[in-house]
Amino acid sequence: MLQLAKIWFAVGTQSVGGGTSTLFLIRRFLVEERKWITMREYTEAWALSQLSPGIHIVALAGLLGRRVGGTRGAAVSVAAMMIPACAITALMTAGYGLIQDQPLAVAALAGVAPATGGMTFGFAIVMARSTMQHGRAAIVDIAIVVIAFAVLLATTVPSIAVIGAAAIFGALALGRGRPTSPRGAE
Amino acid sequence: MDPLALFLVLLKASGLSLGGLGSLPLLRQDLVVPHIATEAQIVEALAIGRLSTGPNGLYVVSLGYQLAGVVGAAVATVAALLPPLVMLPATALARRWLLSSAFAGLVRGAALATAGLLCAIGVSLIVPAHGPLVWWQPAVGLIAAIVSYDGRLHPGLLVIGGAAIGILVAR
Repeated sequence: MLQLAKIWFAVGTQSVGGGTSTLFLIRRFLVEERKWITMREYTEAWALSQLSPGIHIVALAGLLGRRVGGTRGAAVSVAAMMIPACAITALMTAGYGLIQDQPLAVAALAGVAPATGGMTFGFAIVMARSTMQHGRAAIVDIAIVVIAFAVLLATTVPSIAVIGAAAIFGALALGRGRPTSPRGAE
Repeated sequence: MDPLALFLVLLKASGLSLGGLGSLPLLRQDLVVPHIATEAQIVEALAIGRLSTGPNGLYVVSLGYQLAGVVGAAVATVAALLPPLVMLPATALARRWLLSSAFAGLVRGAALATAGLLCAIGVSLIVPAHGPLVWWQPAVGLIAAIVSYDGRLHPGLLVIGGAAIGILVAR
């Protein structure tokens, strides 16, 4: 269990920048180096984690941890990955709070805002692409993305209503296959 | 902000969203629209989340810290952890239902709508509704979108690049 905790601690503290690097480290440590998980088990857990609410990699850590060490393994994996990463994030926020009123920080934020907006937009396109079907069926998928985009920008309809309506429509009309790209796990 | 109220807002956003950034539209509606948080705090949280370690989605911890200090960061961590862990009992009890085509369609529909909402938030961060539009900001946003889509450059470098351009141009 200590070895498992060490691996997830390394994932939580060494994966900088989000999902792709986190997935890479998880696969390297658990599948390739330790061989505690087969590639098939990893892929299956990844596919199931894509169905979870919230941060998919938390679900992935829980599923893989349970595979290695049962319920305790799941708890150790999630805690060892998330607690250090959350502590680092809180410390960075506290550090930023000390300098956020400095003129340099204010100027930097003027550049960080559009960069963050662009990254959010780019991430959303990757998310949509990894979810979309191919061929003519993609037209319906694109329509959902465009409608949600327009609703948020042009109306005051709550986001939760948009997501709920799309989920109901999806259950009735889009039930064919699931995302196949690991990039969608970000 | 009261930590319990913050916890409930974050738990709702995490529980009703897909993926690390999927909670952003709901949080923006529940925190920015009623003026509990500012757009600048959201941007700062997103940037710190990108620079920090761990999975995407830890921007909520940064936002929690900004709104309620260490306790806020702690409740944000718990709120981010609980919903995905539903998968552990769910895969044991209802694996067949989770693998059904109807559930796949439900997830697909929610994911596509979330992508559209995130596109809109991305645009609104690049071109704010209030305040003057500065020519170089849409250019930075466009470049960041293209580079982020390409996926080869580290996201932290994009944040640092944006900060450097801001210091050079806006100071």
